This record gives sequence, structure tokens and C-alpha cells, in this order.
Amino acid sequence: MLYKHLPLMPILLPLTGAMIAVLLRRNYRLQTGVALASMVISLLSSGWLLVVVWRGGGPLVFQSGGWTAPFGITLVADLLAAVFVVMSQLVLCTGVLYAMGSKDSVVRYPTFYPLYLSLATSLTGAMLTGDLFNLFVFAELLVISGTVLTALSDDRHGTEAAYKYYYMSMLASFFMLLAIGCLYVSYGTLNMADLAQRIAGDSGRSLLLPGIGFLMATFMAKSAVFPFHFWQPDFHTAAPTAVSAMLSSVVVKLGVYGFLRMTTLLFLPQAETIRFLLVGLGIIGVILGGLSAVGTLNAKRMLAYSTLAQVGFIMVGIGWGTPMAITAAIVFAFNHSLIKAAMLMLAGYVASRAPVKSADFEVVSGVGREAHGAGVLFFLGSMALAGIPPTNGFISKMILFSSGIDAAGFSSLLLIGLGSVFTLVYTMRGFQRIWWQGPPAGGEVKAKGDQLLAPVLLIGLVLLLGLWAEPLVQIAQDTGLWLTSPMGYIQAVLGG
Amino acid sequence: MELLTAIAIGTMFAVGVFQLLRRNVIRSAIGLLILANAVNLFLLSTGASVGMEPPYVSDISGLMSDALPQALILTAIVISMGGTAFVLSMLYIIAARYKTSDSDEVDGLKH
Repeated sequence: MLYKHLPLMPILLPLTGAMIAVLLRRNYRLQTGVALASMVISLLSSGWLLVVVWRGGGPLVFQSGGWTAPFGITLVADLLAAVFVVMSQLVLCTGVLYAMGSKDSVVRYPTFYPLYLSLATSLTGAMLTGDLFNLFVFAELLVISGTVLTALSDDRHGTEAAYKYYYMSMLASFFMLLAIGCLYVSYGTLNMADLAQRIAGDSGRSLLLPGIGFLMATFMAKSAVFPFHFWQPDFHTAAPTAVSAMLSSVVVKLGVYGFLRMTTLLFLPQAETIRFLLVGLGIIGVILGGLSAVGTLNAKRMLAYSTLAQVGFIMVGIGWGTPMAITAAIVFAFNHSLIKAAMLMLAGYVASRAPVKSADFEVVSGVGREAHGAGVLFFLGSMALAGIPPTNGFISKMILFSSGIDAAGFSSLLLIGLGSVFTLVYTMRGFQRIWWQGPPAGGEVKAKGDQLLAPVLLIGLVLLLGLWAEPLVQIAQDTGLWLTSPMGYIQAVLGG
Repeated sequence: MELLTAIAIGTMFAVGVFQLLRRNVIRSAIGLLILANAVNLFLLSTGASVGMEPPYVSDISGLMSDALPQALILTAIVISMGGTAFVLSMLYIIAARYKTSDSDEVDGLKH
């Protein structure tokens, strides 16, 4: 087994980087270099992992400590995990680039990069692990790093947002522990492959349904799906730009990943019920998020509400549940991460040039008059968010809607079609407020803001994946195919 | 014994949820702590009532107790301890910035 340790790399590299960055806390430049280098190497290793898994035709499994499957902690890189890891690492890399050129004082704190790298570690780890309790531990690390990064924010209200989020996440982790307890007492295992096999064999245990409910609540809170969404706009508005671009794009995808695993691996006998719920909650998210984004008065907050709507689209895709719809959900999740990170970085750039550092429309309207390059980028990002060619947003919406026609979910299709009109309304309104109105009344627009390198890269990818979408769609299609046969995953983990 | 454990855990959940929903931020932090312990007791009860003999010893007579829930609780306790310390430090900053201990008045982000 040549590639035996490969699934470990995307977790270990950022973790090592975080430790080295803690040691280098007195040398800011060196610390930045270490952070960027470890993220880039880790992105390369996860890309390598994706290629190996895709070419190899089966999941790569690493049994940590050499313990065989149901007893030790297993890391499983199947195609779904590999695609999500590549997506996360890609966006996290551009986040480091943005932080390097940011004028926020938070990026100068010696703890910023270690926390950022531990965020990367935990997100990757949560996606690669094959053990429910290990998933809980990584999710906790993710919550703590995200909360501390937000509490450090330049925004005066950062601590308040962090406080709200932390309470919500503590409740989510209690839900997860309860789910783990329910499943463990019913089936005596926490290994996901073993659990899936046992649940498929005997789905009548009385504590199974509460376990599913608690796990759903956990992932809903993680990805801000409708009844658990209220922390999200505050949290994503008050976080430092480099961090909020990550939180609102890749970190919410942990819940998406969890729902994909729940409906295609863990709870196959109950998958229909879960899917039915997801379609309903997704539609509510699309409409509610769209309406709230139209009504809000802050550019970053608008984009945070937009995440609520876009995650709703992904939930509807998972809910339809056909291989084509799952393909659409994966493509949508990948593309949305790139678009939303770029848009939030641009909103942060505009806020950094405003007379007072804030993304309120009152403050930033007219700021874009002297920033034409950022205007073009924001316009392209808006088009991608609304799903207009030649951007990747068009590809994801097209696949999603055509899969909806195939799955014959016409009423839900109509409702999310209506919801996607709101996207055009709020992005264009934001564009007009910032780039078309007169300069702000109180004070001068600053000559220099944050660096635009990271959003340029992301929008470049948005265009590239809009014009040359075949590789991504092909990988997502293969992932959808893999997910329809969970026996491959179970056999790779348990052997035999 | 099982009934007693169930009632005790249920009571702790009730007290924890009630305290968590209090407006005073310190009280709600205490609620979070009580809730964390209730969840830990629930995890303990998943392995407590079957088998009373300690595992991993040489001469075992009877049914072994399950050690895994205890390992899970140990992890959860460590995490919740760090979390509580962090919540309290955040509350310290919030109390200094907003000059209040009433969570309804911590609303600077309301738009």
C-alpha cells in the first residue's frame, strides 16, 4: 500500500503548521510564510489524494495505530470526502492570501495564524474521519477556532457574535453527544461503516429515531439550515473578513457533508424521511434567506443571508436524492464556496476603504466609484451567485434544476426558482449601492484597502469553472455513483 | 437503579435547560455547564447498567463493564471544561463592553 498514509496528510500538515506558527509567534513575517506554505502544501496533498482516490476507483482507508476497523479510529477518503477536502483547502488557501494583505489589526495578533490553521485542520479532519466520535472532536475544534477568531475581530461586536454562536454550537455538540449515546447503546459501535451495516440489518431499535433526530439537529445547526439559522448572520457579519469568508463558504459545508453521509450511508432505511424533511427545510431556507437578504442594510449581512438561501438550494438537491440531484448538490456546494468566499472578500475590501470600517450600506455606498477593478469582480461574483453564464453559478443551477425535472419535484422546483429571483435582486441592489451611487457624505474614501489578490484568484476560478466545467461535473457524477452503492465504502473500511 | 438514573438525568436536563434560558448571562453559563454534565451522565448510562466487572484485568468472573462510554465522557469533559473557561472569559469582555449582565441588552448587532 503505497498511498496508505495519504488521507492523513491534509489533516497533519495544517496541524504541524499551526504548531510551528505558535513557536514563531514573535516573528510575524516568518509565521505568515509558514501558514501560507503549510496551507499550499496541504492543498497539493489533498489534490493528490483526490487524484489517487478517483483513479484508484475505491476509497483510501487509513486505520490509525494499526487497529482494525471497528475498534480503532479510521480515516476514510472516499470521493465525497476528497472533493470536499479539496474545496475546503482551496478556499482556505485564498483566505491566508487575503489575511496577508488585510489591513485588519486582528491578522497581526500572534494567535491568528495558529487558530486559522487549526480551523483548517479540524474542517479537513471532520470530513475525512470515519468515526462518529472523532467527528464530534473535530467539530468541537472547528467551533472553538472559529469562535476565537471571531471574538478577536476588529468589529466591536465580535465578542457578542462569538458568544451567540458559541452557545448555539455548544447545544449542537450536546445534540451530537446525545446522538452518539443513542446510536452506541443501540448498535454498540461508532464506526460509520460498521454502524451503517448494522442499521441496515436491524433498523427497529427504539433509540435509533431519536439518534437520527439529534444528528440532524447537529448538522442543521452546523450549516445554519432553517430553524437553527439565527446565529449565522450575526456571526458572519462580525467576523474578520478573512475568517468570515471561510465561515460562510466552507465551514457551513460541514453540515452539507453530514447530510450527504446520513442519507447515503448511515441511515439508508430512513433516508426517504430525512430527504423529505430536507426538501421542505431547504425551500424555507431559500425563500427566507432571499427575502432577508433583500431587506438587510449591511453588505456582509446580505451575503450571510444569501448563504442561508444557497445552502437551502443544496439541501433541496440532497433531498431529491437521485444520483443526478446529488451530483448537482456537490457541484453547487463546490461552486458556492468559491463564489461566496470571493464576494465576502470583496465586501470586506469595500469596507476597508470606507471612511469608517463597516460594511453598512450607509457607509459603503459610493465607495466603489474609485475601485473599478473590484467593481468588475463584484459584478462577476453577483452574476455567479444569481446563476448567469458564463460563470460556474450557471452550471450549478442548471444541473440542479434539470435534476429537479428528472426527479419530478415540480412544486419544490417552482418555489426554489422563485427564490433564485431574489438572488438577482439583492446582489444587483448591493452593486448599485456600492458602485453607482455618489461618494459618501461623511469623510474621504481611503486610498488603499485590503489586497485584491485572493478575490481575483477566486473569481478567476469562478470563470474557469463556468467555461470549462466538465472535470468538476465528471468528478461530482462519479461521486454520485459511488454514493449510490455504500457497500464499496463499508467493504473498504471493514475489509472482506 | 435504571429508573433512578433516568429520573436524575431528566431532572438535570430540565434544570440545565431552564438555567440556560435565563436572561442573566452568568446563570445561563451555569445552565450550559449543568447541561454538559447531564449529557455526560446520559453517555455514562449507555454503558453503566450491563456488566459490573472491570475490564482489562486478568481474572474476570461475570460480565465485563463497557469502558468505551467512559473514554468518550473523559473527552467530552475535557472539551466542556475548556469551553466553559472560554465562555466565562467571553462573558468578562461582554460585561466590560456592554456594561450589563442581561443578555437582552447585548444586542449591538441588531439591524
